[in-house]
Amino acid sequence: MRHQSDRLGLAFLTPALIFVVLFFLSPVVLTAVFSFTTMSTATGISGGTYRITPSAVRSAAEKGLNPATAERLSQERYTIDDDALTRATKAGIDAEILKELERDLKGKSTDDRRSFERLLKKLDNRPNRRQVKSISPHFRTSILNQSFEDRTTLDATLENLGLDAAERARVAETSYTGWIWTSANFRRMFLQPDTYRILINTIVYVFTTLVIFNTGYAMVLAIVTFYLPGRQATVYRTIWFLPRITPPVIYVLLWKWLAWDTGFISTITGWFGVASRNWMLDTSLNAWVFVVLINGFVGASMGMIIFSSAIKTIPESLFHASAVDGAYRWQQVRHIILPQLRWPILFLTTYQTLSLLSSFELIFLATNGGPGSATEVWSLAAFHLALSNYAGNLQYGLGAAFALILVLIGITASLFYLRLFKFSEMISKPRIEH
Amino acid sequence: MRIVLDAVTKQFGAVKAIDDVTLEIVDGELLALLGPSGCGKTTTLFAICGIHRIDSGRILFGDLEVSGLPPQRRSVGVVFQSFALYPHMSVSENIGFPLQVRKESKAEIERKVDEVADLVHIRELLERRPAQLSGGQQQRVAIARAIVRRPDILLLDEPLANLDAKLRLEMRSELRRLQKETGITAVIVTHDQVEAMSMSDRIVIMDDGRILQIGTPDEMYHRPSNKFVAGFIGNPPISFADGKVEDGRFVTEGLDFDLPDRIKKASVTAGQNITLGVRPEYLQPDFATPIEAEITFIENQGREALYDLTLAGGHVFRSIQSGEPICKLGDKIRWGIDADASFFFDDQGKRI
Ligand SMILES: Nc1ncnc2c1ncn2[C@@H]1O[C@H](COP(=O)(O)OP(=O)(O)O)[C@@H](O)[C@H]1O
Ligand SMILES: [Mg+2]
Repeated sequence: MRHQSDRLGLAFLTPALIFVVLFFLSPVVLTAVFSFTTMSTATGISGGTYRITPSAVRSAAEKGLNPATAERLSQERYTIDDDALTRATKAGIDAEILKELERDLKGKSTDDRRSFERLLKKLDNRPNRRQVKSISPHFRTSILNQSFEDRTTLDATLENLGLDAAERARVAETSYTGWIWTSANFRRMFLQPDTYRILINTIVYVFTTLVIFNTGYAMVLAIVTFYLPGRQATVYRTIWFLPRITPPVIYVLLWKWLAWDTGFISTITGWFGVASRNWMLDTSLNAWVFVVLINGFVGASMGMIIFSSAIKTIPESLFHASAVDGAYRWQQVRHIILPQLRWPILFLTTYQTLSLLSSFELIFLATNGGPGSATEVWSLAAFHLALSNYAGNLQYGLGAAFALILVLIGITASLFYLRLFKFSEMISKPRIEH
Repeated sequence: MRIVLDAVTKQFGAVKAIDDVTLEIVDGELLALLGPSGCGKTTTLFAICGIHRIDSGRILFGDLEVSGLPPQRRSVGVVFQSFALYPHMSVSENIGFPLQVRKESKAEIERKVDEVADLVHIRELLERRPAQLSGGQQQRVAIARAIVRRPDILLLDEPLANLDAKLRLEMRSELRRLQKETGITAVIVTHDQVEAMSMSDRIVIMDDGRILQIGTPDEMYHRPSNKFVAGFIGNPPISFADGKVEDGRFVTEGLDFDLPDRIKKASVTAGQNITLGVRPEYLQPDFATPIEAEITFIENQGREALYDLTLAGGHVFRSIQSGEPICKLGDKIRWGIDADASFFFDDQGKRI
């Protein structure tokens, strides 16, 4: 019996579990995986080949490849071997000359064309100038700009050039065009000064929006509408709810229209002789003010609703009692309302911290991190790195590393808050007694 | 302090919760506001303490008109029906709240809280939260909070309704003691007539926003001004029978007797509709005006027994007699009514 009901429970849970795995766990896992790779537009997300490009050679040299070896890799070589002879035969070069080359000079190689051609001229067959010019290309070998499908063929070629195993590995590393596993993303992230700028931006953004609007102003709205007569309160609440139900693109567009150099503010200030300008992107401070306002107006409505309904659950008799006890409005707010809002405040702080940390669509639409990177916050940086980069090289790996930090902060903060607020108690026992 | 309500009216939309109420509450008396649920008792109380603004009329405390004053500026202590203790404050913070908002010093608050806590016997509960208290304890805290700043007036809204039967008896005398000790003018709202009768100096009976009668418990019981009051006061309740006046007699199906002289002298005319009201103690085996009926219900309460008598015409009368039951269910009996002590009401319900 019990067994059966367990299974039934599982069956009911299945859709939810599938959702969690599909839309929560797998993105997190993939983010973690990507963050330990060098994936970018250049590498692609599938495998790659080994291409000995000049820059691959250069960076191998930078990473300690013997300069002489590097030199050798970038140089052309002329080698008399079976391959080259076959190529030349096929191309219809005089068989006598080739026979002589095979007999007398096989295995010989030179580092440049001139010495090779000197060799040719000394042959018994005495090829003329024109013949020399047509023969030499067939004996030219250069590793430069060659692609190797796998490591084995690369290794064989390099070995021919006389590279030892360590040197071969180094060249393989720098010439690989696909992605590889690495922890360099995190090293880079911690070493970049930009990262700290972004971190500070994020803290400023979350803190000011949260304190001023999402909780502070939300509470003012909730308390004011609580004391307003019914219809006025409804109108007021609805107005403050509009930003939340307006599509973000349109909502931000209205703000942009307000701030454009031909927009509302500029027009008004223009009457007083102030030069028109884009008020949103004019200075970093302006940009911050707008970013906080844009996010705050949306965030405040949610707090207002939560606080309003929390205030509504306070029995009316408590307000009556405090009034006859001599408490005026401000004292009622301080002694009756605020203490009863403790839990909603904590809840809202938790929720809004996390949602402010992770959402960037409004900033993206409004300033896109500008001017410069003045309003670049963490989640926006992750987005920019991974998915929207001016330079065109999307750094999936580095972006994922940024995103992963956000996920970790989010999970840590949630666990911390859950413990702090004793969430289980919060949902099991009513906090307001009647 | 004397309280005067002068032609006070309070409306909620179309509902007249208080309808032209005029009432004087004497300094130091305990007045009970009695009436069925929804008759406007709480509204009257809230009008006195200022929670509700009245629509017309005047309210005076002593000689001072307070109609326009907010509750914060009327010196009134209120014990709410639900007690309305602040759940996030300890008992001592609850009691001290009226002093705290008046910015009294900590030491002063502590002294007064201790004093009033002694008065209502909750000294050992001061550190607890309201949720950790029983109903009776909560009520004491609510009373302590209402009287801690020595208000001129104490209002109590059904303070005993939330208590169990035994505690209710205890608290009745306790409240009376407190009121006597402090000499405070108090109004207590109740829908329980026994409570009103046993505690108060005077009773006001309300129905539908209007005052039906004001008087001492004794007056209420023995001289109800109308049928509603007679029916409301008394437990077990009075029995009514509609009938007619014929030839100076009260006539109804199964009952026919000579009206008492005082009724005849009052201007009753032949054929007039009239209602007889007999309290259970005025229907006894050996009383003068005979009544023939069948016993249709007996309730033995040990010390006394309750009988329902059904007349031939279907009217039901009740009788209460001390001792064990003296007859069985279904017995045909011939007992008597004390017609002089019975009430007669005209067709408007007014007592004749
Ligand atoms: N705040 C209010 N809003 C609307 N109607 C009310 C309000 N308070 C009381 N009433 C109405 O006024 C009448 C009297 O109520 P109330 O004074 O609470 O009665 P009681 O205390 O005697 O039970 C009832 O009809 C009730 O529905
Ligand atoms: Mg009531």
